[in-house]
Amino acid sequence: MITGTGVTKTYRQRGGMLAGRDVPALRGIDFAVPRGGAVSFIGESGCGKTTLGRIVAGLETYDSGEIVIDGTPMSPLSPKRRQPFFRRIQLIHQDPYSALNPTRTIQQTLTAPLELRARHTKRPGSWVDDRAEELLSLVGIDPGYVLGRYPHQLSGGMRQRVVIARALTVDPEMLVADESVSMIDVSMRLSILALLRDLRERLDIGLLFITHDIATARYIGDDSELYVLYRGQVVERGPTETVISAPVHPYTQSLLSATPVLHGLERPGEERVVPTEALDERQGDSGCLFARRCPFRTDRCDGERPSLVHGLDVSHEHACYHPRPRGVIPVEAVA
Amino acid sequence: MTIDLKGYGDDASTATLARAPGVRVRDLTVVYRTPLGELPALGGVSLTIEPGTITGIVGESGSGKSTLALSLLNAVQPPGRIASGSVEIDGLGDVVGLAGEELRRARGRHLGYVFQAAQNSLNPLKTVGKQVLDLGRSHGVADPRALLREARALLERMGLDGGRVLDSHQHQLSGGMRQRVGIMLALVLNAHLVILDEPTTALDMITQSTILRIVREVHQERGLTTLMVTHDIGVAAEVTDHLAVMYGGRVVEHGPTMRVLGAPSHPYTQGLIRAIPRLSGDPSEARALPGRPPTLGTLPVGGCVFRERCPERMAVCETVDPPRVTHGERTVACHAVEQAHDRAETAGYGPHRLDTANHRTGREELT
Amino acid sequence: MTLTISLPGRRDERGGRVSPRRAFWRGVGRVLRRKRGRVVGVAILALFAAMATVGPLLYPANLPRDDNALYAAPSLAHPFGTDFEGTDVLALVVTGARYVILTGLATAIITVALGTTLGLLAGLHRGRWDTVLMRITDLQLTIPGLPLLLVLSTVWKFESPLEMGLVLGLLGWGGVARAVRSQTLSLRERGFVEAARGLGLSSTHIVGRELLPSMAPYIAMNVLIAVTGAIYAQVGLFFLGVLPFESNNWGVMLNLAVFGGGALTTPAALPYLLAPLLAILLLTLGIVLVVDAMDEIFNPRLRED
Repeated sequence: MITGTGVTKTYRQRGGMLAGRDVPALRGIDFAVPRGGAVSFIGESGCGKTTLGRIVAGLETYDSGEIVIDGTPMSPLSPKRRQPFFRRIQLIHQDPYSALNPTRTIQQTLTAPLELRARHTKRPGSWVDDRAEELLSLVGIDPGYVLGRYPHQLSGGMRQRVVIARALTVDPEMLVADESVSMIDVSMRLSILALLRDLRERLDIGLLFITHDIATARYIGDDSELYVLYRGQVVERGPTETVISAPVHPYTQSLLSATPVLHGLERPGEERVVPTEALDERQGDSGCLFARRCPFRTDRCDGERPSLVHGLDVSHEHACYHPRPRGVIPVEAVA
Repeated sequence: MTIDLKGYGDDASTATLARAPGVRVRDLTVVYRTPLGELPALGGVSLTIEPGTITGIVGESGSGKSTLALSLLNAVQPPGRIASGSVEIDGLGDVVGLAGEELRRARGRHLGYVFQAAQNSLNPLKTVGKQVLDLGRSHGVADPRALLREARALLERMGLDGGRVLDSHQHQLSGGMRQRVGIMLALVLNAHLVILDEPTTALDMITQSTILRIVREVHQERGLTTLMVTHDIGVAAEVTDHLAVMYGGRVVEHGPTMRVLGAPSHPYTQGLIRAIPRLSGDPSEARALPGRPPTLGTLPVGGCVFRERCPERMAVCETVDPPRVTHGERTVACHAVEQAHDRAETAGYGPHRLDTANHRTGREELT
Repeated sequence: MTLTISLPGRRDERGGRVSPRRAFWRGVGRVLRRKRGRVVGVAILALFAAMATVGPLLYPANLPRDDNALYAAPSLAHPFGTDFEGTDVLALVVTGARYVILTGLATAIITVALGTTLGLLAGLHRGRWDTVLMRITDLQLTIPGLPLLLVLSTVWKFESPLEMGLVLGLLGWGGVARAVRSQTLSLRERGFVEAARGLGLSSTHIVGRELLPSMAPYIAMNVLIAVTGAIYAQVGLFFLGVLPFESNNWGVMLNLAVFGGGALTTPAALPYLLAPLLAILLLTLGIVLVVDAMDEIFNPRLRED
């Protein structure tokens, strides 16, 4: 079980439009990923989802709040003591092209962490090769085909599978998949999503799924939870299907409304929500963070910031003063 | 679809008929020189684009969609070259035959090209306004002031502060603004054939939706023929009225977007649509296509390019490249579809997989 | 997956696992054969290596003089003529190669070791370490090499080529350090380096197996450029005559040909001048031709057909 409570992170902007200003990337995020469970974080670029993933994978530090891995809080530990805990959480990068060393064969890539593991667990050297082949079969590729090859000889989908196999070498408890399918050809995206779902079921591995494409979050298992991040704050969370089919926060509704409609196969939702203006990160931080773009804002929204509360359904939370479900997602057209 | 014709009046629709060019691609073959010899990126593509339509060219990596887009500008770069075929554009003639100064004039004046949002196609050292003037000078525009006015009007039409954007450098603009500047630069010389190359890649969902709305509106208002090249079938579905699906350097299916998506004919189109993560429908019914898209080196020689991933593979697919068959508004290149069609016809029923609205049947051989 | 998948060029080798080391050398051979210039470059370097190792063994310790043939014209017996003492110029060039090559090698080793270590340290430990190391590097880069060597040569005679190489190496690592640092900075952000850290792999592994192979072409190129510079510098020093006289040294030969033999005014000493010049040119050419292949040698994608 991996939990986060009130995780915050602020960057000081060095250059660009916001030079010299503090930019909050995360403003107190609470989340929990049970063993074998799945949680998706969705939002636009700059909403803090990637930062969160890197923090959870131990690649970045947090300013305040706490990450607890199997009951052990991380912040009191020294970086060295923290490492074995964070090793249980492996990050799957977005870009399978830069995630593999171009100068090393797949075999070299897999055996390095396996040899380390063999030494730690006092296993014989022969275990390493067997395990490498086993892991490749597990992620659905033919070991005989890929082991001797270099990354450039593999397709994007295969590379992403190798990256997942490499993460599995340390028997992780959770995978952080940051936009892991966005660079993969459409016809093969589902197979990677299915693999992630499969690993959850077969190996009881948890999944923190980070994406800008909400639709993909539906394919990692029907027990998953969805968190909608906006400017470093969770604005809506709940069971994935509930949030997608009955979103109540206007930001979630805008995101869902912006998803292209497959005309012919689908009809657009009746109540699509369009933000009144484009995202401007220089906007002030008072009141609701989405207020300036929100078509439904009232004076109250400008004054104080809403916090996460639940409605009738206790599992479905939102941070909005005027929550109302709207039919924004496309509806399947009847042929 | 109701289109807002802000400030452009009703004459926009009549202009459509008068100026939007049609495009006829015939047996276009583009080859790339590799250590393994010359390999075809486009293997005899034929595609007719009616004037005034907005057509999506969708395909995965290696489908040849970008090569096709570049061929329309006769801009295939070595080691690639157009080996055979023609690209006829109304008012321009065969683009394949153009070269040098003629070609340069055609680009910009007749053909507007909008580069990927991810690429920085703007000059980082010059303001947008300066780049508009450069463009005008290189195309011999007599009245630079009018050109700037036009640029500003276009930007304002797309919801930007025209004056401010013209005075800005690239780094001062957000991704969505840059993409709108790209569209403005493609249109400012009054081109009526516009090619958009992955116009929303790397843009956020909400920005993407805005850009797509603008593309559709500008297309209508200015009376354009628009081609949108994209790997994202959703993006194409959102704005286009026609869809050409590419695979392995061929157009495997072409027809009205609604029909292609609602009742896909080609097994690849069917598989692709089933493989798209969607917000509607049952996620457990979705299936990935087995295998992977071919690359230049793995493209099968002879026979159907899709057969290795095809659930309806037959003996004939191994040896014979399926011909392009047109029924009414729809064109498909698939042996299985053709046989099903023939069977239906001899049985006296209307063909069940293809449109019956127009009972005109035309066949064209695909080399 | 039920599909048969094949990749261009490797169809015959499916599944066949060749040891990576053998595959590497096979690839190197392929890359070198790809352009004729590279083969020539390798041949030139091999020739000079042979001259440096076995060259002096071919001749007696003290090269014979022939007082009857001072500044003799090229002939079959003396392809490049003779010098002011009647010694065969070719023999002088061949025996003189050892000093030049040894100096070059010493320079290369010191440049690589210092430049790579400091560059890696600076790139991996950003912050104070980086600042300090880069200031030192900048300092090194601003030292005017030749004047310093001139001053040094008044107190140090550089009898051993290794001493010479040491000094030239200490004056030449800055470029390599800068290149390695910038490469480290860009590579450390790459997914695979981050993944290695996340998997708990040791720093030795990360540096030795993940970082260095990726930046090897840059290091190799910078080193070869440094070596070329070192060869010019040392020949220059001897040419200027600030270092002790020793007849079989290319720089000294140039000096004697110009200032002693008047090669610039009389044609008699011309072969004596041209022979070491040609040797230097040839050696540099060899290096430049081989540098051309470095990028392809260390990049598996380019190494293939």
